[in-house]
Amino acid sequence: MPKLDRVIRFRLLACALPLLLSGCVEATQPAELFQLSPESTQNRSMQTRMFETSNDKELLSASAASLQDLGFQIEESVREVGFLRATKERSAREYGQYIGRFFVFLLSLGHGLMPVDLHQKIAAALVTRPLNEAGTRQEVRIMFYRVIWKGDGQSDRTYIPPGGQMMEMIRDPEIYQQFFAKLSKAVFLEPHTI
Amino acid sequence: MIVKYVLGCAAMLAGASMLYGCTAPQPRQELFTPTDAQMKIRSAQSRTFEVKDRAVAMRGVIAALQDLGFIIERANEPLGLVTAARFAEPNYYDVLGVTVTVRPQDDDKTMIRANAIYNNKPIEDPKVYQNFFASLERSLFITKN
Repeated sequence: MPKLDRVIRFRLLACALPLLLSGCVEATQPAELFQLSPESTQNRSMQTRMFETSNDKELLSASAASLQDLGFQIEESVREVGFLRATKERSAREYGQYIGRFFVFLLSLGHGLMPVDLHQKIAAALVTRPLNEAGTRQEVRIMFYRVIWKGDGQSDRTYIPPGGQMMEMIRDPEIYQQFFAKLSKAVFLEPHTI
Repeated sequence: MIVKYVLGCAAMLAGASMLYGCTAPQPRQELFTPTDAQMKIRSAQSRTFEVKDRAVAMRGVIAALQDLGFIIERANEPLGLVTAARFAEPNYYDVLGVTVTVRPQDDDKTMIRANAIYNNKPIEDPKVYQNFFASLERSLFITKN
């Protein structure tokens, strides 16, 4: 009997844990999502740079070149509205997660096997637009985000199949700075190359 | 004897009901007829702006969507289409998608229509669209100046 008791308790805990975790993020109403958030100005300034050029075509192709330098593949481009979308796929494996997985396995006495991140797809959406009537000042705005695929795991006797997905916006200012440093170099260099 | 008769009747009934299940359900006629609710939704989703140029309107739409944190997925200039999506932050499990169409009208104005879906379910709350058009108005004003 005590053994059965323990199994039931473990199941209850396993059921309660995701519930507890999901309680941490409150669901946002769609109406709120169409309103400007307090962070939107901050994100905007992080994602945007201005360039003193009237050649929007050159700016767009320099942007494409910078993305290619960073290992992205251009997936879609619309010149008329200055739009580019690019992606790159990389491994998402991290040592930390494997160590965590090992300890969870030990502490749960072999009952729990945490899924780890296996693969990720990093995507960028870039838009250029003129800032004045004459089009001598152009703005470039880029947004990075990523999708992560998880491997398989186990919770008690239930097998967790691989392929679980997680998405997130990338809000690390350093990544944006890196891109714009590359782009300003490319804008400066490109007119000189034949 | 009676039991047999009753059983026979039951079997026949069961057979008939099984056969009935085989006929394909006919599509209902009213599925394609416009309803009042549809008209209401359409008027909430559309707004006319004092913008002549389609490209200007489209750039305004794209800028507004980016300000709202949307990722632009697709754009088509000749057709005036913009498709974008975003996660319902702070959670990353729900996805909000939107398609915006920009159509120039005869009187130097532009009609802009937005269709939003939340986790593959259309949003019918007019307030959502009001918020979107408020952001768009602001963005178009900035783009113009």
